[in-house]
Amino acid sequence: MDPEQVDEFVMGYLKKKGFNSAAKHLQESLHNNNGSSFSSIDYPNDPELTKLIRSFSQSENDPSRYREGYSKLRSWGYNSLDLYKHELLRVMYPVFIHCYMDLVGKGHTQEARSFFNSFRKDHEMVHLRDLQKLGGVLAPSHLQEMEFARSLRQSKINIKICQYSYDLLIQYLHRTESTLMLGIINEHINFQVYSGQPNSASDDIEAVTIVGSFHETADHVNQKEIHWGLLEDSLEDRLEKTGGLLSDSEKGQGESKAGDDSKKRSAEIGKQGSSTKKLKKDKAGTATTKVARQETSTVLSSMPRVKPELAMPVMSTDVEESILEDLRNRVQLSSVAMPSVSFYTFVNTHNGLNSSSISHDGSLVAGGFSDSSIKVWDMAKIGQAGSCALQDDNNQIVGKNGRRNYTLLVGHSGPVYSATFSPPGDYVLSSSADTTIRLWSTKLNANLVCYKGHNHTVWDAQFSPFGHYFASCSHDRTARIWSMDRMQPLRMMAGHLSDVDCVQWHPNCNYIATGSSDKTVRLWDVQTGECVRIFIGHRSMVLSLAMSPDGRYMASGDEDGTIMMWDLSTARCITPLMGHNSCVWTLSYSGEGSLLASGSADCTVKLWDVSSSTKLTKAEEKNGNSNRLRSIRTFPTKSTPVHALRFSRRNLLFAAGAVSKHSS
Amino acid sequence: ELWKGEEKMSIVPKETIEVIAQSIGITNLSPEAALMLAPDVEYRVREIMQEAIKCMRHSKRTTLTASDVDGALNLRNLEPIYGFGSGGPIRFRKAIGHRDLFYTDDREVDFKDVIEAPLPKAPLDTEIVCHWLAIEGVQPAIPENAPLEVIRAPAENQIYQQKDGPLIDIRLPVKHVLSKELQLYFQKIAELTMSKSNPSLFKEALVSLASDSGLHPLVPYFTNFIADEVSRGLNDFLLLFNLMHVVRSLLQNPHIHIEPYLHQLMPSVVTCLVSRKLGNRFADNHWDLRDFTANLVALICKRFGNTYVTLQSRLTKTLVNALLDPKKALTQHYGAIQGLAALGHNVVRLLVLSNLEPYLSLLEPELDAEKQKNQMKSYEAWRVYGALLRAAGLCIHDRLKIFPNLPSPSPSLLNKGKGKVINTEPNKRKLSVDSSENRSPRKRLIATDGSDGGPSPMQVDRPTGDANPPQNSVHPSSSEQASGGNAPESRNAKENQGSKGRTITRKAILDQIWKDDLDSGRLLVKLHQLYGDRILPFIPSTEMSLFL
Repeated sequence: MDPEQVDEFVMGYLKKKGFNSAAKHLQESLHNNNGSSFSSIDYPNDPELTKLIRSFSQSENDPSRYREGYSKLRSWGYNSLDLYKHELLRVMYPVFIHCYMDLVGKGHTQEARSFFNSFRKDHEMVHLRDLQKLGGVLAPSHLQEMEFARSLRQSKINIKICQYSYDLLIQYLHRTESTLMLGIINEHINFQVYSGQPNSASDDIEAVTIVGSFHETADHVNQKEIHWGLLEDSLEDRLEKTGGLLSDSEKGQGESKAGDDSKKRSAEIGKQGSSTKKLKKDKAGTATTKVARQETSTVLSSMPRVKPELAMPVMSTDVEESILEDLRNRVQLSSVAMPSVSFYTFVNTHNGLNSSSISHDGSLVAGGFSDSSIKVWDMAKIGQAGSCALQDDNNQIVGKNGRRNYTLLVGHSGPVYSATFSPPGDYVLSSSADTTIRLWSTKLNANLVCYKGHNHTVWDAQFSPFGHYFASCSHDRTARIWSMDRMQPLRMMAGHLSDVDCVQWHPNCNYIATGSSDKTVRLWDVQTGECVRIFIGHRSMVLSLAMSPDGRYMASGDEDGTIMMWDLSTARCITPLMGHNSCVWTLSYSGEGSLLASGSADCTVKLWDVSSSTKLTKAEEKNGNSNRLRSIRTFPTKSTPVHALRFSRRNLLFAAGAVSKHSS
Repeated sequence: ELWKGEEKMSIVPKETIEVIAQSIGITNLSPEAALMLAPDVEYRVREIMQEAIKCMRHSKRTTLTASDVDGALNLRNLEPIYGFGSGGPIRFRKAIGHRDLFYTDDREVDFKDVIEAPLPKAPLDTEIVCHWLAIEGVQPAIPENAPLEVIRAPAENQIYQQKDGPLIDIRLPVKHVLSKELQLYFQKIAELTMSKSNPSLFKEALVSLASDSGLHPLVPYFTNFIADEVSRGLNDFLLLFNLMHVVRSLLQNPHIHIEPYLHQLMPSVVTCLVSRKLGNRFADNHWDLRDFTANLVALICKRFGNTYVTLQSRLTKTLVNALLDPKKALTQHYGAIQGLAALGHNVVRLLVLSNLEPYLSLLEPELDAEKQKNQMKSYEAWRVYGALLRAAGLCIHDRLKIFPNLPSPSPSLLNKGKGKVINTEPNKRKLSVDSSENRSPRKRLIATDGSDGGPSPMQVDRPTGDANPPQNSVHPSSSEQASGGNAPESRNAKENQGSKGRTITRKAILDQIWKDDLDSGRLLVKLHQLYGDRILPFIPSTEMSLFL
């Protein structure tokens, strides 16, 4: 290579990159020296360097290089050895999207579009939602504007890959001199190389993870300590102490046991978050010696206890008594003892029912409608009227004596997206597109408070398990904690990258979980407002959340019909529950946590056996056999998507949904 | 090849931008600007749709509506687009002369029509209906629940439970408990059947009976109800008719297993077919009821004939006894004939035609207007005569159809003279197959073959059947069809084309007909003797031409 040529290359490169002053200086020095300024470098003898310089000098703006480079890499990947193929193909998606974004960023809209359409089929299976989003990006300004694109640009993708695959890839890139691809891979992919044989294709849930400005923090966040134990002196505890158990001997045993345990636990609260090993031992020791019924209660009581971080409302003795009575009469459910399911079907909703919920005892049903109204039915009354309904259809249209048989709550000025009951059923909390949350009294049938604070549509609002406090989440990407007596929110949780779509309280009231359109679920400390867990794994918008009664697990359902069961302490997914093929609108744990019920847009209620997992995972996690969770029953409805599910305290399952016309 | 068809920058064509610009009053938009705007428009539209999908999800729906788009615009603090309700899909029409131009199909509404139109019904108010989706994990078979796959047999259930290990829960036999909903449903249906006052509602009830799942527990109640009411209400024509409709709906319902109750059902049905008196008024058209029931009987035999081998034989026995008993009323004879006719032509040939001559001689005095002064009686006699004629005609029609098709004057065939000559050979082969089949008529008698569309073996075997529409379409009921006029035509057509091959075939068929041990030819002659020209319309034109 001639020295002059090198100078030309350098000049061209500097100009192209916009280093005009440097170019000018170079020009001047070239004139002054009248010779090459780079003669000190021994470039002719360094072929690598020559190659590199050459590649820089190529017109970088040629958009077809992306297509060429990618399609070469792609065909190489698909033709590679089967053993390493799946690992090598993991590289394709990041390279693909970054090629596309590079092209868009450089203004080659047309090429970008054709490149995208040519290869999108390869990735649609897994990344359909992202591709739909990215497909709309057509101008450099869009890249800046769209958060998703921006975060992709800023973050790196972690790919686990075995040593040999890695070597293969690097060799290929060098051999074919595809510097462009190499550049993209270097810039956006972070390889985690491990020695040994490549992993099987199936367990690649964690093989590809996105890290970056926010994702990097996820790991860090998930290290934080959380106390998922139930509250001290919870009603379950009190039930045991007051002799809820059957025989006297059992009672005494249980009492002493519970007493001992809770004392022990309260001393250990501080360490509990990180050290669960001790707990396992304890549980294993106690659980094996007990009979089934005893077992569940001792398991509960052997769980760690925590102090409430919020000032808890005082429960009236009446309410307490009735709850205790319910707990005493609770039916024990398991995979062989199934619950009864009572289904409330909304008819004539005219496509206007946005949400529905059922009170704890199933006596009240509320619906939030798109015409801004909330309707509350008292099922005790309907039960009588319902029989008449079938007898004379004509009268039923108007209801008895022309009176409608529900309570109409009017006040919102936008579609109502949630309407939920307080635990005793005396209040209804509703949230709406008019950015407000309203509190209604079911006794007075009137609006009590209108809470303003969110800047956008409030998607969901949920009372805490003990009432008084409630949490809300909104399109403005925040979740907020409120108390009934304050007009302003107490805490504001910000961090989600997209709408916060659903919110759920932890049974001990110290945490809330939020599910978002950014496909993550987060757990927040109510006292500090900090994010303490980020659960990554869903592939689409998270629609529903449920917490296990022992506070250890969480289930979340998404738009694709996947349900994920999470261990709160490790932030790991125990196993995805596959079975639904459409949106999972609602999830509910049975009273003692052995069953999980899920309701979906595919018009089914499914029951999942989750007790086996909670008991066995610890032992089986090591054996790699974590697929213990299984669907044990599917109840199809006629053509009613299931909007809401609720296990009563006595373990009767209530379900609600609106008949959808198109399938009938 | 991937590059092809990708010229467009955006899925929004530049023309669209220009049209929109014009519509908002910008006339001087340069093409470059339009081209630049197109990708941005696409991006914004995608953005809105993404938000709209969010709104859809939060409205717990899986179909996007116009209101979701309004919601999305609202989220973006944009003015919603007015005028698009969520009523139904918007219909687009293609603009004539333009390839890609569409417009919404807005009907012009006359103010007068709007003003004069009656007020629409108030929309039904939202209600909640409650039912058990499952009771202790088992879905009850009630109409509110989705149909169960199979009503599981108890044996299977036990095996399943044993597999489960030590946890066998033995269920004691429980009293048959009907849910309240089912009871109400039954009451309602019974009322509707009895009341006769609301035919439209009754029709809907029938549809529900024929399609709803979860009705199985009610079947014994319905069969009882039908049996009781038929025996009690023989004078009530409408009631009987309603009851038969209920029977038919029950038979149609795919979720009901009615076989175990057939024995209870059949007597009532047969009663409605051959009872002396059905209804007490002159105006009651009991003939229709008998026709309807005859079809019902045939339906039952067809569906359950295989599982209950004796079903049809017992039925035919009853019917023949009714027919051959001269003491029975003519109305009963009519019912019997219709019932037998509905069971297919083999039944007719064996049981009716064999007794045709003596029966007709009995009937003759009744038919004669001079001898039978009672007009009512005479009318009945003519009805019976008509039914007999129809049965015989159908029978002979079907018999003749067995024989290989003769070239008919169908235009499609006329055009292809070549193909037809070739056709003759397979015809011959078919002939032998058919005749061998004909020798075992008893076998086919049990396997019911109806004239109403059942897959009879002959029809399946015939490859040329499809090419011969005129023959198949000669429906006996439309016997007035001018088949007499067709006959000479077809003859002409044949003579024009008369080739050697065809003459041979025709001869062969003719031979076959006369040799046939079933005496098709003689049968025809006999029928002709008995009925005179009245039988002729039933005979397919081409076959007719053979005999003429």
